[in-house]
Amino acid sequence: MTDPASATLKPGAEKFAHLGRSVAAIRAELGTAPVSVDAIRDPAIYEREREKIFRRTWLKVATTSELPAIGDYKVKDLPVVDASVLIVRGKDGVVRAFHNVCTHRGNKVVPTSDAETFGRARAGVVTCRFHGWVFGTDGPLRSVPLEDHFGTLDKACLGLREIACDTWEGFVFINMADPPEQTLAEYLGDFGTLFGGYPYAEATTAYRYYTVLECNWKVALYAFSEGYHVPTIHAGSLPGFRGIEHSDFKLIGPHASSTIYGLGMEAAASTAEFARVLHGSAAHAPHPEQVPPGINPTRRADFQFELPNVFPNLLIHLAAGCGYPGMAFFTHQFWPLDHGRTLWEGINYFRPARNAAERVAQLHVNALHRNAWLEDTATMEDTFTGIRSGAVDTMQLMDQEFLIRHAARTLDRYLAA
Amino acid sequence: MTDTITLPAGFEDLTELAAHWARATENARSAIRWSASAQDFAAFYTAFMPRLRTALDLLEQIPLDAMDAAQTNLFELACAFAEAAPHHELYGGSADVPHSFSARRFVPGHGDTASRL
Repeated sequence: MTDPASATLKPGAEKFAHLGRSVAAIRAELGTAPVSVDAIRDPAIYEREREKIFRRTWLKVATTSELPAIGDYKVKDLPVVDASVLIVRGKDGVVRAFHNVCTHRGNKVVPTSDAETFGRARAGVVTCRFHGWVFGTDGPLRSVPLEDHFGTLDKACLGLREIACDTWEGFVFINMADPPEQTLAEYLGDFGTLFGGYPYAEATTAYRYYTVLECNWKVALYAFSEGYHVPTIHAGSLPGFRGIEHSDFKLIGPHASSTIYGLGMEAAASTAEFARVLHGSAAHAPHPEQVPPGINPTRRADFQFELPNVFPNLLIHLAAGCGYPGMAFFTHQFWPLDHGRTLWEGINYFRPARNAAERVAQLHVNALHRNAWLEDTATMEDTFTGIRSGAVDTMQLMDQEFLIRHAARTLDRYLAA
Repeated sequence: MTDTITLPAGFEDLTELAAHWARATENARSAIRWSASAQDFAAFYTAFMPRLRTALDLLEQIPLDAMDAAQTNLFELACAFAEAAPHHELYGGSADVPHSFSARRFVPGHGDTASRL
């Protein structure tokens, strides 16, 4: 456990001292009692989550590096809020979000084939394939075939329906509320400054995996929200990850964070060779100096990554190459499809490989991490089945599982509001 | 297929290995890995691990967008090794990660994109 009082702090770290919690403080503040599994088990609570959480909080839906050029768009289908969302970079360079819904009769403007669909709008417009209504990438309805055949048509009021959209550090968030109760900056609060300033945008090589899990979204979220499982679940893929310490607990309004310290991952001979390539490159070597000041404030050499829970459904593991060799950061998201089905997305972010060897080495690290995720996801459907059986009414949570306890309390608070 | 595979000088003896394992995309490599036996993983590891450093030293000199056909084959063989090695080193030769979720249910968004791109 880092003791900020007895160690030299990084400049700027003192601004975040109010977020830190000792184990004793965590126990005092969040309690130690078992936590009910009703919010996982009860479909009626899921319906309330949709209204009171997913329609009211800021949700990460893209990164700006996915939309590098004018006209680039991404469509994200979000069943949890009954919406298909078009995120598009307009001619003015601004990234906006709209309902992907034609104002003529409600068809999808951009057809989708999966949970995510990418494309580039030509000439600054998108056109509905149903009847050819044309919308600007900044929203207005531009043209309507046979416009003079409508007895009444107020085109000025028939632009794409805009959704509140803002960016933080290259992550694009939307808020379905009209208007949102808080700005994105207000909603992120101290999380935005604690995690701010890291060069996320330089890590443009992204390897994304997704799957549909037959479990409630919180089962998946909670499974990725603690380090207690690492020595057991990951004994296969991370045998070198010994001496793991999950500490530096922080409470940040609806969000929370913590740090994973431990030995490196280079247990296998091949991994050591691939790590040699990445660690020998200025671009991919560990960059502890880039980790923002409030994270690993005493500059411990065994820093692996920072593990936060950004309410309600986002994890950003900030590693700066210190954990998995060469990996800048990785994210998880948990999108409810219905009460008992979840779209999980895990994305590994690297800086671009400068040569073929660096790419091969990145693919090795990516595969190791994918395999660790396969070990993680192995528990989730079984856990949900167990909880649904009624055999247990509560979760027993230890100190390193405080992110779960905090998320469950935050959830209750939003549902009660 | 073997007769069309070329590899850079010094790696010619790995032609048969490349014909079996080297593929451009993650999805194509996964399909081969999922059907591999412990003996297949051991043979691949025994043949390529001693050459890994030499291969990486060579590939380190080559930009991703400037590989010739032989270099591309070596790159794709090295990609396959990068993904297969843990099955020999860590998973006891199992094609599946032990005690894991089905890898076939994990979808790589980049799965059909050539890894050199």
